[in-house]
Amino acid sequence: MGQGDAPERKRRALATAFDPVFYRTVYDDIARVGADPFQHYAETGWREGRDPAPWFSVPAYLERHPEAGGGDPFAHYLLRGWSEGCEPSPSRHRERFLERIGGPLRPPSGEPVATSPESEIPEPLAMVPVGSDPDLPAGLTRKAARDLVAAAFDPAFYLSAYPDIAAAGQDPLEHYLLAGRREGRDPTPGFKAADYLEVNPDLAASGVDPFLHWLVAGRAEGRPLRFELGFRGRIVAGLIPLQARMAAAASAAAAITADRPRGLAPLSAASQATGLHVTFSHDDFTTRIGGVQLCLQAESAGLARRGIDHLHVFPAVPWPTLRPAGSRAALGVVWNGRTLGHFAVGDILKALGKRRAGASTTLAVHSLLGHEIGETLDILAAAGARRGLFWLHDFAGLCAGYHLMRDEARDCGAPPAGSAACRVCAFGPGRDLHLSAHRRLFEALDLTLVAPSQAALDTWSAAPDAPAATAAQVHPHARLIPSGRFAEATEGPLTVAFLGMPSAYKGWPVFTDLAERFRDDPRYRFVRLGSAVAPGAPADHIEVSVTADNPHAMREALDSARVDVAILWSLCRETFSFAAYEAAAAGAAILTGPDSGNIAAFTRTGDHGLVLPDEASLFAQFESGTVQSLSRKVRRPEICEIEYSGMSVDLLESLS
Amino acid sequence: MKVLVYSSFTFSYLNRARVLYQTLRRFHPDWETVALITDEPPPGFVFDPASEPFDRVVWAKDLGIEAFRGWLFRHDVVEVCTAVKGPFLHQVCEAGVADIAIYLDPDTALFAPLDPLVEMLGASDILLTPHLIDPNEDRAAILDNDLSASRTGIFNLGFVAIRTTGEGARFARWWNDRLLAFCYDDIPSGLFVDQKWCDHVPALFDRVKVVRDPGYNVASWNLSTRKVAITRDGEILVNGATLRFWHFTKLGPTGDVMTKRYAGDNFEVYEVWRWYKEAVAAATDPAIPERWWAHGQFDDGTPIAKPQRVLYRERADLQAAFPDPFAGGYQAWWRAEGPGRNG
Repeated sequence: MGQGDAPERKRRALATAFDPVFYRTVYDDIARVGADPFQHYAETGWREGRDPAPWFSVPAYLERHPEAGGGDPFAHYLLRGWSEGCEPSPSRHRERFLERIGGPLRPPSGEPVATSPESEIPEPLAMVPVGSDPDLPAGLTRKAARDLVAAAFDPAFYLSAYPDIAAAGQDPLEHYLLAGRREGRDPTPGFKAADYLEVNPDLAASGVDPFLHWLVAGRAEGRPLRFELGFRGRIVAGLIPLQARMAAAASAAAAITADRPRGLAPLSAASQATGLHVTFSHDDFTTRIGGVQLCLQAESAGLARRGIDHLHVFPAVPWPTLRPAGSRAALGVVWNGRTLGHFAVGDILKALGKRRAGASTTLAVHSLLGHEIGETLDILAAAGARRGLFWLHDFAGLCAGYHLMRDEARDCGAPPAGSAACRVCAFGPGRDLHLSAHRRLFEALDLTLVAPSQAALDTWSAAPDAPAATAAQVHPHARLIPSGRFAEATEGPLTVAFLGMPSAYKGWPVFTDLAERFRDDPRYRFVRLGSAVAPGAPADHIEVSVTADNPHAMREALDSARVDVAILWSLCRETFSFAAYEAAAAGAAILTGPDSGNIAAFTRTGDHGLVLPDEASLFAQFESGTVQSLSRKVRRPEICEIEYSGMSVDLLESLS
Repeated sequence: MKVLVYSSFTFSYLNRARVLYQTLRRFHPDWETVALITDEPPPGFVFDPASEPFDRVVWAKDLGIEAFRGWLFRHDVVEVCTAVKGPFLHQVCEAGVADIAIYLDPDTALFAPLDPLVEMLGASDILLTPHLIDPNEDRAAILDNDLSASRTGIFNLGFVAIRTTGEGARFARWWNDRLLAFCYDDIPSGLFVDQKWCDHVPALFDRVKVVRDPGYNVASWNLSTRKVAITRDGEILVNGATLRFWHFTKLGPTGDVMTKRYAGDNFEVYEVWRWYKEAVAAATDPAIPERWWAHGQFDDGTPIAKPQRVLYRERADLQAAFPDPFAGGYQAWWRAEGPGRNG
């Protein structure tokens, strides 16, 4: 369990340490009215001075630690008091309780506990207060219990998950035994006490130590560790409301102070250029890495070669959506490949107004994320640009969920905007903003829709609410050029790779599930090629960074790692997948799912691998070993070069 | 065909009710919507019915229930909010203000129009939705769902729809009578608020239709036999049928556990819940304290314990002696002579 939000952490800590049997036994009135003991304690019990466990006295704690007043003293102790040296005292009802449940503190093994500590018992577990039904499962000595926990405990995980423990220099196991388990901290990455108690409510009611229960009995009984929601369920559970994300972006944008307008002087200066080309995207392509950025870098270089001025406008801070009307934010400006700074839109309009009318002005919209449509149209009007390209890098023209992933969990297919699916989707509230802004854009301008793949254009054309473009065409970012060389056959396990960013919509959860399931299978080796290490990934990391200077880095890395199979399990409709081209060029077979857009189409049409109907089929391929038919040894694929297109520059002629 | 829809709630459920009425307005802007409230607005909260997403408010105290204060005191919040459903429905029938009356719990929400129900009420006078329309086979599911329904009622009374004439009106009168006298959470005595009574409905009345379409009244208690899918056409389907309304019972950790237990990896269920939680959060007014209920305390602000209500309802002498038990008399008697004098 992470540190999470405070009320949830408090609830879990209390639920774990609270002793319902004690509470019901010593407070007859609770049992009489049938109240839930934990709920009663949490809501009113502590206020009435009732004790939550035999080892904890609420009145005594308050007397000794008046600073805990104002809230539940037990929560105070569990969440911070113990670490500040606060000492609990046993409940005054303890003895009566012990008598009622059958005598002195003595676990079923007959071993004395608490009242006569044994010398050989390590201190921490001996100090663990023993409740009504002792912490220890039947027949287990304290030493055996401690040894069991120690053997299963993952100290490295504990220290990395809870840096406060590492910072305090505490022994992780001792901390877990003494306090961590009651604070709801987890002993291993695979065991979450709260999940275990949630899925096994009988244990939650009994008050047993969940991890110890799992080790001693739970795993043998085949008890589940958690509800299996699947990764899509986990994605939905972790979604942040769109409005909250927009509010965070607005707040970040408000913190940006616009630069002085004199920084925009190059826009107004006399120019020898033969024309002006204005582009819009979601960020500064000169400093960021990615597909759209590479496209803009090529566009910018091509314009420079042709002697055309290039103005690029981007939001000063990243936005999850288009910017709504009425919001103010500075805009970043790149002029002929050089970032000038962040400016108020009014200053950009003034600078463009001073510019001498050029021979021709064209435009290309790569992304309107972070842009307010009224401002965009004003800037284009001030630049004199009406004719241009609208790049279909994603589907932001159809929805704020620009991957067309309903709740970021499943391809939605861009259903009608008023549909039940859109009403439940987290992106639903932003759909009208995106549709109406793009309609305005297409109505005001003479735009050719440029799709980097037929699959992308097909999706756009099939969407019932899609804005209407003047014309549409497909212009792929790259093509494969056969080299005449064939991949060398390799021996050893099938090397299976994930390429690029470990994000859910790229299929990272599917890859990690696959790699975890087959990590010990000698038939396979799993690797991940990307620019940053993914913590906890069940695959070897191979550092790769694709840049404008080294655009072939991924293909070369795939080749040198002798990757047999690339799992390109994108959950969303990719409009163009550089990864698919890179994998195929390096001789790796692609395994993809049905919703992956350009990847599935490319894989099918070029015999580059397999498009499987679902994740179960993917796992079945590995289980049966059929996937071995995709090895370099069996396929002997031809190695290819990748020829990149000139992107917008290839199409400028048609605009002028 | 005039249709009236009502829900019964207190101010702590106003957020949920707002979501219900918003969805009702989306699909049925011509239906009359009524909020039946057994509460008083908390201090600091300005209740402006004109700006709420329902057409009018009916206060429980205005239903004409005899000796209302004493009657109210005999019930806890769940009991009383279910008890007033009967008198209101009966009065709608008597007044002839609608052809069809539908009750929906405040924690339900519509996802598609309810027009098929109106059609069903052409051939039937009373519509009920059972908790279960398919038997469970898994032992844990039987324990959780089938036996729970056996204890608390075969039909879920988060929904009932009637024609306001004929058998529908006869049902409303009978339900009114029973709920005024026996709307308690007392399972050992065969009572579970307004709901358990309705086990009798198919036996006592004609023209009753048991709605077995899985798109109605989807809830954690029937998710074990219902699979939710969302299509690329934008429809939400339950076992292949259009989702009409969902019953978001037990918003919070308890509901989450039951939902996870039975939805498993049917992640579309969590999508529906995610939407609901966000909608309820947006409809929540922070000026209304959580668990607020004006009648949960004596006039001096002391919380009323359940045993104090139970004893009062069991003893006619106390009812006669303290016709307004919220005032100090009953409280003083309880302290001096009641069974809880030490508690």
